[in-house]
Amino acid sequence: MLKQLLACIFVLLLFGNALAEEKKTEIPIGDSPSLGPADAPITIIEFIDFQ
Amino acid sequence: MAVGPIVKQILQTYPGKIRLVIKNYPYKYRDFSKIAAEASLAARDQGKYWEMHDMLISHSPKLDRTSLIAYAGELGLEVKKFTESIDSGRHMQEIEGDLKLAESIDLYNTPTFYINGLQIVGERPMNFFKKIIDEQLNQSGK
Repeated sequence: MLKQLLACIFVLLLFGNALAEEKKTEIPIGDSPSLGPADAPITIIEFIDFQ
Repeated sequence: MAVGPIVKQILQTYPGKIRLVIKNYPYKYRDFSKIAAEASLAARDQGKYWEMHDMLISHSPKLDRTSLIAYAGELGLEVKKFTESIDSGRHMQEIEGDLKLAESIDLYNTPTFYINGLQIVGERPMNFFKKIIDEQLNQSGK
């Protein structure tokens, strides 16, 4: 019983970590200045402070 | 602070594969952050956003109003129009919108990058970006 519980916790931890690593934030692009093709495989959104 | 050179290096390393989008996060306790953001968008109105963007990065932190107007002149912008734009805060709403967006995703530092939605906070070496971009390219199969 204890073994099963521990295994369960272990799996949950693994799964949790995997989720954390792949956490993606969706950010609307709107009319923000952009460079490069709209259908590019990589979109980099930079929050900038010029000073 | 802006990280021009790294972004430039990324764009050169992956030609045609990157779409770069800029959001403004002018830190409220710095004197010229907001007016510099205004300047960048005023330049966009005259079709020279990226020229001004690069100019601001290379001259930071010398971004007082007089300097900004001088940069606009150097870039061949219509200076009167540019000056009116930054003085009136024409793009305040857009900038505030970016700030609200940043707060809504718990972002309080610059630079912060999102590469296909994956967050990177602060300045990092090229290899760090490269690893993430390569992984994303592999995943997308392009």
